[in-house]
Amino acid sequence: MNRQRMNPSDMRRGAGIVIACVAAALLVSAAFLLAAGRDPLQAGMVLFGSAFGSIDGVAETITRAVPLALAGLGIAIAFRASMYNIGGDGQLMIGAIGGVAALQWAGDAGAIGLPWLLLASALAGGLYGALAGWLRARFDASEIIVTIMLNYVAFQMLAWLVRGPLQESQKIMPRSGAIPEAAQLPELIEAGQLHAGVLVALALALLVHVVMRRTSFGFRLMAVGENPRAAAAGGIGVGGIIILSMAASGALCGLAGGVEVAGVFHRLEENMAPGLGITAIAVALLARLNTLAVPFAALLFGALTVGAGALQRQMAIPFPLLWIIDAVVIVAFLFAGARWRRAQPAA
Amino acid sequence: MDQLFWVGLLAAAFRLATPILFAALGETVAQRAGVLNVGIEGIMLTGAFVGAWAALQTGSPWLGIACAAVSGVTLAALHALLCLRWHLDQIVSGIALAMLGLGLSGYGFRLTLGANSAVRLPSFDRPDFGTLAELPWLGPVLFKQHALVYLALALAVAVWWFVRATGLGLAIRACGEAPDAAHAAGINVGRMRASCVLFGGAMAGIGGAYLSLAEIGNFVEDMMAGRGFIAIACVVYGRWNALWVLCAALFFGAIDAAQIRLQTLNPDIPYQFFVMAPYVLAIGALVFLSRRSRMPGALGRPFVAPQ
Repeated sequence: MNRQRMNPSDMRRGAGIVIACVAAALLVSAAFLLAAGRDPLQAGMVLFGSAFGSIDGVAETITRAVPLALAGLGIAIAFRASMYNIGGDGQLMIGAIGGVAALQWAGDAGAIGLPWLLLASALAGGLYGALAGWLRARFDASEIIVTIMLNYVAFQMLAWLVRGPLQESQKIMPRSGAIPEAAQLPELIEAGQLHAGVLVALALALLVHVVMRRTSFGFRLMAVGENPRAAAAGGIGVGGIIILSMAASGALCGLAGGVEVAGVFHRLEENMAPGLGITAIAVALLARLNTLAVPFAALLFGALTVGAGALQRQMAIPFPLLWIIDAVVIVAFLFAGARWRRAQPAA
Repeated sequence: MDQLFWVGLLAAAFRLATPILFAALGETVAQRAGVLNVGIEGIMLTGAFVGAWAALQTGSPWLGIACAAVSGVTLAALHALLCLRWHLDQIVSGIALAMLGLGLSGYGFRLTLGANSAVRLPSFDRPDFGTLAELPWLGPVLFKQHALVYLALALAVAVWWFVRATGLGLAIRACGEAPDAAHAAGINVGRMRASCVLFGGAMAGIGGAYLSLAEIGNFVEDMMAGRGFIAIACVVYGRWNALWVLCAALFFGAIDAAQIRLQTLNPDIPYQFFVMAPYVLAIGALVFLSRRSRMPGALGRPFVAPQ
C-alpha cells in the first residue's frame, strides 16, 4: 500500500478496490432502504439529482467536499504514520475556534484577515493534534482513545465559547458574531456557496503529496508507519515523527474548520462538524491514503452528504445512513485490499 | 455536602459505572484472548437502541436486554469475521464498527422510536431487599440498585475467577500471550478468540441497553457519549484484571455522578467544564497508567495457524 510510485498494475488494483467499495456501499444502502420500505431506485435518483443534477447541486457538492478533502488529507498523513487519528472533529472545532478567536484578538486584522484566520486555525488544530501525538510518544497513551476524548472536550469548549466569551453581541443565539468581509473566502460563482476554499484544498493536496513523496520527512513518516522498530534502528527519531505527523494531521483538520468558518458559516456555530471527522476517515481510506486521490474521494463523499440531506428532506430517509455507508466503504476497502494483496506474490 | 449528597453520589456512581463495567468486562476477555475491539462504542449504541425498541415491542425490558445482547453478538461477529477469519487490521475494523453502530442506531431510531413522540419504555421491577434497604448509608447505596447493577458486579468477580482459575481461562490467556504455543498445545486459537470477541459484543450490547432501558428510560442518538472508549481505557487502567477494571469503572461512575451534581451546585461556573471533566480525567489516567501496564503479548496481532 505504501509504495513510492504507482505502476500500471497498481493503478488497476486501486481502481478495482474503489469499484468494490462503491458497489458494496450501493448494495448495503439498497438493503437498508428496502428495510425501511423506501424505493432504492427512486432514492438513487434523488441522491444523484440533488448532488449533480443542477449547477446549485454541483456547487453544493464541491462545497461539502472541501472540508472533507482537507480533513481527509490530515487523516491520510496520520494513518500513513500508523497513528489512528479519530479526533478530526475535535481538531476541526478547535481550528474554527482558533481562527475566530485570533481575528477578535487582532481586532479583525484588517486586510490580512483571511490568511490570519486560516493560519490561526491551522496552528490551533495542529497544536491540538500534536498534544495527542505527544501523549502517545511520551507516555504511550493510545492516540485512539485520547483523540476521541479530545473530541468531546473540544465540543464542550465550543459549546461554552459560543454562549460565553465569543458569543455575538446581542447574547441571544449560541454563536459568535459574523467575521468581517475581509476575512471571508470569496465566492467563486453565483450558484450555491461555492467558495475559494476549494482552491486551498487542491493546493494543499499537491503540497502534501510533494512533502510525502519527495522529502525526507515524508519518507521518515512512512518508515515509522510501516515499522517503528526498523525506523528507530535506522536512526529515525520515532517520537518526533509521531508528534509531527499528528501536528500536521491536526493542522489540516483545523484548517478545514477555518475554511468552514471563512467560506460557509462566516461565524462560529455550535454544530460545525456533524461527523466530518468520521467521514474524513472513510475519505482517506477510499483514497487508499494516496493524497492525490483524496480530493476525488472527498468529492464522492461530498455528493453523498448532499444526497443524504436531500433523502432526509424528500423521502424521510434518516441521515445516519451516511455513517453506515462510511463503515461499509471502510470494510470493503479492508477486504478488497487484502484480497488483492493475497493475489499478488509477496507484495 | 451533607449525608444526602454523599449517599446520592455513591448510589449514582454504581448506576453510572454499570454500562461502562459491562462493556469493559467483555473487552477485558476479548483482549485477554488477543483481540482488540475499538468499536465497543458502536456496539453499545446499537444495543441501546435495539434494547429500547425490542422492550417496547415485546413489553418486557428483559427481552429488550436479551435482544440487545444478540445485536451485540451480531456486530462482534462481523469484527471476528474481518479480523480473525480474514486477518484484516483490527483497529481499522473497530473504527468501522464504531461508525456502523452510530449509523445503525441513528437510522433505526429515526425510523421507529424517533418517529413517534413520547414513547414510554417498559420499566424493570427492582429487587427488594426488605429491611436491608432501610439501613442508613449502606441501604440506598448497596441495596436499592437495579438488578443489572448487581449482575455487573457479580460478572466482574466471575470474569476475574474464570480467567485466573479455570482451564478455559488459561487457554484464553494463552491465545492472547503466545498464540503459537497455544496452537501447539492443541487449542483452536481462532475459535477461542472468536468466542471471546462474541462475549465482548454481548456484554457491550447489554451495557448499552442498560443505559437506555434502566438508567435514562429512553434512547437518544449518540447517547453513549464516549463511554465505549472510556470502557476500553478502563481495561488499560485495570491492567486486564477484572477486579481492577471494576475499580476503574466505579471511579468513572463516581466522576460522572459528581460532575452532574457539581453542575447544579455551581451555577456560576459554565456547566460545560463539568461535562468535560470525565474526558480530561480519562486522558490523565491514560498518561499515568499506560506505561506501567503490560498488555497481553499478542494483543492486536493476527494469528495464522501454520499449515
